[in-house]
Amino acid sequence: MMGRTQKLVLTSLFFAMAIILSVIENSMPPLPVSIPGVKFGFSNIAVMYVLFFIGKRPAYAVAILKAVFVFSIRGWIAGVLSLAGGILSITVMILLIYLFRDKVSYLILSIFGAIFHNIGQLVAVSIIYTNLYLMYYLPVLLVTGIIAGLITSVLLNVIMPAFQRVGFGNGN
Amino acid sequence: MKFFKKTDLLIIGILLLLAGGVYATYYASQQDKPAKAEIYLESELIQTVSLSEGVDKMFSVDEKPEVVFHLYPDGSIAFEHSDCPDQICVESGRLHIIGQSAACLPNGLILKIVPENGDAYDENDMVI
Repeated sequence: MMGRTQKLVLTSLFFAMAIILSVIENSMPPLPVSIPGVKFGFSNIAVMYVLFFIGKRPAYAVAILKAVFVFSIRGWIAGVLSLAGGILSITVMILLIYLFRDKVSYLILSIFGAIFHNIGQLVAVSIIYTNLYLMYYLPVLLVTGIIAGLITSVLLNVIMPAFQRVGFGNGN
Repeated sequence: MKFFKKTDLLIIGILLLLAGGVYATYYASQQDKPAKAEIYLESELIQTVSLSEGVDKMFSVDEKPEVVFHLYPDGSIAFEHSDCPDQICVESGRLHIIGQSAACLPNGLILKIVPENGDAYDENDMVI
């Protein structure tokens, strides 16, 4: 088990990573099939790691802090989108872990996390602006979600041994 | 918890099939329906454009003269030019199928393709 201070420090490090990923993502070209305001969500990778390694509440904390950061840099709409995607994504992943426990793999968690991150953003855009057709965007969301989920879990696979060397990553 | 299980391939396969199925049925059902374009500014409908007139024209809305729309004779419509920094709206390209939309969030503009006769779709089913 991790101590409180260890958790705090690790969560802060992951939050810093989330901000960096979010900046990198913003400097990349938009998706080929662009959905209003919806991004790939690489910064969501950091949020997933917090959920996997540290816990539920720190994961929500990072998602909310990230939304505050996005809000202060890119305005309230981007902030709300970030919050909606982050919260829905974490909630779905927690639900999957609760329902299937060890039977669900990191890959599937990452994929569903990514898909629901984008669905959350799409719902937020629909509420703020005008209704969008979910059926039209669903195929795009599923495919980009699978790709983003693959990337996330491959990265996780690379990072995990390093975490285990310093004593994290298992049974937390 | 494992990184990857063989059954994951099955789940991914189902998701891809679902994506393909939804895509195919959606395009088949919406392809040739008469459509119109709606232009929203900050969630308010400010202009409606018919897509079935076969004209080629450029136009702007009064509220945002720096954003230019292009209506094509084949019934598609696109953001032709915008002063926004990211140009996502312009890169969204030409829209013509019901349900497609493009947005210029920096200008607060959304361009959306909807059925010509308003409520031809089931609100609860198709729209979120």
